Amino acid sequence: MLEIKNLHASVGGKEILRGINLTVNAGEVHAIMGPNGAGKSTLSNVLAGRDGYEITQGEVIYKDQDLLSLAAEERAQRGVFLAFQYPVEIPGVSNIYLLKAALNAVRKYQGLDDLDAIDFLTLVRSKLELVQMDEQFLHRGVNEGFSGGEKKRNEILQMALLEPSLAILDETDSGLDIDALKTVSKGVNALRSAERSIVMITHYQRLLDYIVPDFVHVLSDGQIVKSGDKELAKELEKTGYSWVNKEA
Amino acid sequence: MKNLTELATPFASMTPELGSDLAWLKSLRLKALTQFNSQGLPSKKQEDWKYTSLWEMAQQEFTHQVLTSDVNETQCDELALLEDSHRLVIVDGTFSANLSKLDDLQEGVFICPLSSEQGLEQAQPHIGQQIDISKEGLNGLNTLLMNDGFTMVIAADVKVDKAIEVLVINTGVTTNLATHLRNVIVMAENSQATVIEHYATLSDAMSLTNVVSEVVLSSDAELNHYKLQQESSNAYHIATLAATQGVGSRWNTSSIALGGKLSRTDVHSKLMGKQSHTTMDGLYIATGEQHIDHHTRIDHLVPDTTSDELFKGVLDEQSHAVFNGKVIVHKDAQKTDANQQNHNLLLSRGCEIDTKPEMEIYADDVKSAHGSTVGQLNEDNLFFLRARGLDEVTARSLLTHAFAVDVLNRIPSETIRTALSTQVEKHLPKSGKA
Repeated sequence: MLEIKNLHASVGGKEILRGINLTVNAGEVHAIMGPNGAGKSTLSNVLAGRDGYEITQGEVIYKDQDLLSLAAEERAQRGVFLAFQYPVEIPGVSNIYLLKAALNAVRKYQGLDDLDAIDFLTLVRSKLELVQMDEQFLHRGVNEGFSGGEKKRNEILQMALLEPSLAILDETDSGLDIDALKTVSKGVNALRSAERSIVMITHYQRLLDYIVPDFVHVLSDGQIVKSGDKELAKELEKTGYSWVNKEA
Repeated sequence: MKNLTELATPFASMTPELGSDLAWLKSLRLKALTQFNSQGLPSKKQEDWKYTSLWEMAQQEFTHQVLTSDVNETQCDELALLEDSHRLVIVDGTFSANLSKLDDLQEGVFICPLSSEQGLEQAQPHIGQQIDISKEGLNGLNTLLMNDGFTMVIAADVKVDKAIEVLVINTGVTTNLATHLRNVIVMAENSQATVIEHYATLSDAMSLTNVVSEVVLSSDAELNHYKLQQESSNAYHIATLAATQGVGSRWNTSSIALGGKLSRTDVHSKLMGKQSHTTMDGLYIATGEQHIDHHTRIDHLVPDTTSDELFKGVLDEQSHAVFNGKVIVHKDAQKTDANQQNHNLLLSRGCEIDTKPEMEIYADDVKSAHGSTVGQLNEDNLFFLRARGLDEVTARSLLTHAFAVDVLNRIPSETIRTALSTQVEKHLPKSGKA
């Protein structure tokens, strides 16, 4: 599904990613953990195609394609989904309009016609149920006046509707209370499947109690310094990140 | 053909037909002539015209001799903003009885062309009351040359059943046509109405529309007063809307300026009765080499009055827009609540906005806020939409649209909001790569 080979990336001349190697197969859930400043958000932004990052070395292969040569929207249309750490508020664009436009953009790439209004609404309603959101949220501006938890649930709603092949969850647990965390996790778990890969980027182990990963990687100073299974995350919880840099 | 000064000067021979036998109108016009002869057209040296030059317009030659034009009902229906409305149509400066739909007016609703005997008679006490011809730009010229327009009088306690669309069409059959219209709206106690002044052209011919609307709101009257200007890119458009408001009255205005080569709209409200309120909104979308200027003024003259003003602008290419909004809280106007905002979205490097929100406060117990912003599309929002699969052009258009329709969302009628939104969408820049 995703193969990251010796990826180096800089922002404003400063190298943030310093040779990342990672292979994610279909159906796998990977957690990438690390201290602040390790390059976690840079990695998710580079994968999603945000401007402002210079790729100095390496490559990223997604479904046999050179991911880095694609524009952000082309990646999204091909099934790459980034759940944002800080979802933006867009007053004036209703949530339902965004959902419809996003879904139709993906369908267009797949050679499918737009869904008609009734089928679309039926589909959206089933996804709303999954993330326990009220239908009134559809008619509000995108994330406009939403609480932190509502914004994150809205991200998962978009993910559930778009059914991506590769979902990158950037600090999805940040700013969530325990109930919201459970709801969001339930939504993500429902989307686990043999055809879908999930990369979770997180500072804390807490999220991994609810979404149990197949693999855990430790990112430090722009490199993956240690990989293991879910036990690695528990070890990190006990010992913190201070040992990581020493060991590396 | 003559330039504007020449058109105005030989007044004796050029007398507009309208009311040439009426002494009161003659004397008003003579007064305006004296003013115009001494002042001429406003120049950039005047503070109110600092960013808008009428020089080019002054060099143009105009005519008042209208050639016969032929607008049919279908064209009129296509142009009209609303399907189900009372409609008063003015074609090339003259009221068209055939195209107007004024036959099912309820009791207490009077709408007539100014050029009718009754229209002029009803308008007489109000003409010239809301404007100061010695000060305000082309109002003197309008007074001198006005030849039609409309008079609307709504009786006490009457709520007009449908919106009234005043559709002003310039066909372009007469090139270089100058049209001078005067509108009078009188709302008696506790009456309610919605009026849309809609200015449109059918060709790219050069033209000038010079219009003054004078409004009087008695106590508890409410007028939703929208103006949609979508003239051609060779049209000059100069307009003034001015109102006096009585106790508890509400004047909700919105000036949607989309067309024209050069347009200037002045909106002025005088809050003279307690608990009166003005909503003064505007949206301008300028592309190409368009120049769109709004000057607004709200006078809070008595205690307990409120105003809420929101103007937004979208500028692209080499366009130039001006916003100058003045809110004056006079000495006795305690407990005034005034809010004024102007926000601008600049989509290219070549465009220019001159924005100047002003508040003058002479009372000491006042709640007020004002501000203006000039910016570009938010890059985080843009990335978010692209990360959801929307291509860059679509994402930019969507964000631009969201920025603009914010103003329209303040219009209570869904029908009118949707109709205006459709017109706005047609004018929004589609490319928009900053």
